[in-house]
Amino acid sequence: MVSLNVNGAPVTVSAPDDKPLLWVLREDLGLLGAKYGCGIAQCGACRVLINGVSTPSCVTTLSTVAGASVVTVEGLPQADGTLSVLQQAWLDEQVPQCGFCQPGFLVAATALLDRVPQPTNAEIDEFIDNICRCGTYPRIRRAIHRAAAAQAQG
Amino acid sequence: MPRIFSRRNFLITGAVLGGTAMVAAVGGIGTLATVDMDGPDPLLDGDRLVFNAFVAIHQDGSVVIQAPRTEMGQGIHTGLAMLVAEELDIPFDARIRVEHPVEQLAAYTNFSGPLRTRPEGAQGPVMWAAKRLLGLLPLNNTAGSRSIVGMWVPMRQAGAAARHMLVTAGAARLGVQVGDVTTSDGFVRHAASGRNIAYGDLVRDAAAVPPPSDPVLKPASAWRLIGRAQPRVDLPAKIRGEPVFGADVVLPDMLHAAIRQAPVFGASVARVVNEAETRAQPGIVDVAVIDGRSVAVVASSWWLAETAAWRLDIQWAATEAEVVTSAGLARALQSALDGDEPHLYLHEGDVEVPAGQVVTAAYTAPFVTHACMEPMNATVLIRGDGTAEAWCPTQSPMSMRWGVNRGAALADVDPTSVTCHVTMTGGAFGRRSDLDVVVQAAFLATRHRDRPVKLMWSRQEDIGRGIYRSHAAARMRAALGPDGLPVSYDALVAAQSMQQSASARLLPFGNGASPHGDRFTVEGLDKSYYAVPNRRLRSHHVPSHMPIGAWRSNGFSFGTFFAESFVDECAQAASQDPVAYRRRLLRDSPRHLAVLDRVAALAGWGTPLAPGRGRGVAIEEAYESVVAEVVEITVAADGEITVDRVFCVVDVGIVVNPDAVVAQMEGGIQFGVTTALMSSITLEAGAVMESNFHDFPMQRLANAPEIVVEIMPSNLPPGGAGEPGIVPVAAAIANAIHAATGRRLRSLPFATVETLGERRLRTVLPAVDMAARN
Repeated sequence: MVSLNVNGAPVTVSAPDDKPLLWVLREDLGLLGAKYGCGIAQCGACRVLINGVSTPSCVTTLSTVAGASVVTVEGLPQADGTLSVLQQAWLDEQVPQCGFCQPGFLVAATALLDRVPQPTNAEIDEFIDNICRCGTYPRIRRAIHRAAAAQAQG
Repeated sequence: MPRIFSRRNFLITGAVLGGTAMVAAVGGIGTLATVDMDGPDPLLDGDRLVFNAFVAIHQDGSVVIQAPRTEMGQGIHTGLAMLVAEELDIPFDARIRVEHPVEQLAAYTNFSGPLRTRPEGAQGPVMWAAKRLLGLLPLNNTAGSRSIVGMWVPMRQAGAAARHMLVTAGAARLGVQVGDVTTSDGFVRHAASGRNIAYGDLVRDAAAVPPPSDPVLKPASAWRLIGRAQPRVDLPAKIRGEPVFGADVVLPDMLHAAIRQAPVFGASVARVVNEAETRAQPGIVDVAVIDGRSVAVVASSWWLAETAAWRLDIQWAATEAEVVTSAGLARALQSALDGDEPHLYLHEGDVEVPAGQVVTAAYTAPFVTHACMEPMNATVLIRGDGTAEAWCPTQSPMSMRWGVNRGAALADVDPTSVTCHVTMTGGAFGRRSDLDVVVQAAFLATRHRDRPVKLMWSRQEDIGRGIYRSHAAARMRAALGPDGLPVSYDALVAAQSMQQSASARLLPFGNGASPHGDRFTVEGLDKSYYAVPNRRLRSHHVPSHMPIGAWRSNGFSFGTFFAESFVDECAQAASQDPVAYRRRLLRDSPRHLAVLDRVAALAGWGTPLAPGRGRGVAIEEAYESVVAEVVEITVAADGEITVDRVFCVVDVGIVVNPDAVVAQMEGGIQFGVTTALMSSITLEAGAVMESNFHDFPMQRLANAPEIVVEIMPSNLPPGGAGEPGIVPVAAAIANAIHAATGRRLRSLPFATVETLGERRLRTVLPAVDMAARN
């Protein structure tokens, strides 16, 4: 039994200690936003925030997140369901194509803006190393800049 | 919901040829051949009126549109819904819901792909018969950049037919003439009296109005949606991370399955050494050999199943393919090119005509794979009563149904019915036209009746045990006249036939189409739009044990690289600028010339670049669209190559949703840059060596160029947009490398990948071109 906080709510999970957090989220907690893309921390589709840090959940075992605060893409909107500023920018820029990798990008970009409120393109490229096979990269950069501008205006 | 019977579908399935012949006799072949409104007659169903196969309106005014093409990121659900909404005169807002239909109706058939014509152009008795036959299947697939091409008329007709019924009902309710009412924003309006009736309030009345046989479509001047960017209907759910993909399917009592397939294609399972131990593990429900070719583990969780699959000890029977290597296959291509009797695909004029300077060049391209972000998966339920239901991110509900039947047949089970749910797909790129994973899941489902079985491949299975685009090699020859332009152009290409390999796998009968003269082998090599009087195009099919399948842009992905690199080599031999040279070659092709001129202007062609930088251009006509790209690259002193910017101008004919076209160009270009610089599937001892994104790498943000796309205004009927973007990329990069360095690279991929720590990579040009090494 491992206790942790997921998207603001305390949960207790009964699963093997070595089960990856990705599969705990998807199979034990019914949170399907984080995706399996590679299983070896290469693609980033499984990224979630663990204590605010963007982390590939496919190689993070359950036992290592005991007591941690985990935020998935489902936890990004505000409490009333309104999209986060970043998600709204994603919608305004019409970023996703197939959309499968996008939860991981949204999580990674949320962590970036938390650390660097006005990132340059170079900082975006340096910080976010997820894979998008559809090639939405230029729109991802634009959406991050749009969100940064919106947040700066408060 | 009551089952909707299609009038014509019923005639076809219930009375087969007698019925269709009777309809033909009554309606006349000419009429039927032009009306494609097959599908249900209007049907009141609860609070909604199903107007036809595509449109239903609820009494609350909400509209449900059936979009019978797979949403795989190209925005097709939005584009198809726009066509209906345009003619229906409804706002493009949240009151529209778009669904992929579950009922497979003849009206959803993709006629334009197999008939290679537009539905509206398919006239006459032969086309009529072909359409009836395809409608019997019904052949429904999302492929070949054909969705807007094929649905451009039917979706608008569906909206116009529904509007006609609403207008007729509204005028009757208001007691005025049909000609005195108009429609806008979902209302029938009578301007003279100021009275308006919402569509939702008219659905009961409209049900009694006969649908028009030939609905009148709006003139282009009246369009308010077509040509204006509309937001994608599928994006809000995707941005919230909602479970819309096949991988997200969760059903009561569902079992999860993981699989291990033969490392050498065609090898069979000799023995699962640790089957008993695997079965004994907690949570493991089943270990099954599928068709003698693969081993699946079924468990209460996919993580459990996959972990157990990692530990399977499988002995594979020896096959003769175990000696196959990439080098051997590459030699086989060259031997074929050396050999006699290629298939003569095209010969205009005489390529042996005497001329001046002769230019020759040889090119190669490797096997590549799709690497869709969502791994292959399918969920199948076979019930005790013999019915089956399946959920799958597929490009073809027809293939999906065949896959369920075929997988069940492996266990001697014959489902009485198969209901197919097409989910959103996490990428597809041609890969999801295949039915392998559905066959496997259906077989597993026969062993666990009344429990859905979701089979998902690991990434390793996807990269290393998948379906591939063929490798290819070409030899090109041109003879230049006194003006430097080619008098003759002669292309000889060798590749493994996709048509043969894919049809042998997919079709439920026969051994596949003939591999000879496969048009997918010669795509991009024709160059019919260039003014060259003597042209010849020949091909060889070189078989291997590799399964070849559809891959975004198919033969264009190598053929255009060969041909548009070669055009640059001819320009160089003639000491002419590559754009100026192509302009002269395009003197009889004004549509192409306009695209080329625009991209040259957009990219600032001819303006100086710093040392180490270069520009390259390429153009192609593909999928009834014309696309030209200019690439700007930098090659550092140590060989590191960076693609900095790509300019793209595309003429797709009439544009439905411009932002979706721009997105497809952007995506196709990024896909093309990855492929050109770093994608290669290699074989040792018959097995694919690559297994995941660390050894089949993808560009990331740090490697992604900026892209500028411009759409040419056009009044031509819509062409395709999903695939053209990728087509010119490789040649444009090769031409840019030549401009920057003087080196002519003739083999894909151009670069080797160097890792810079975790998840960081750079691409470096090798000191020696691959073609020179072969």
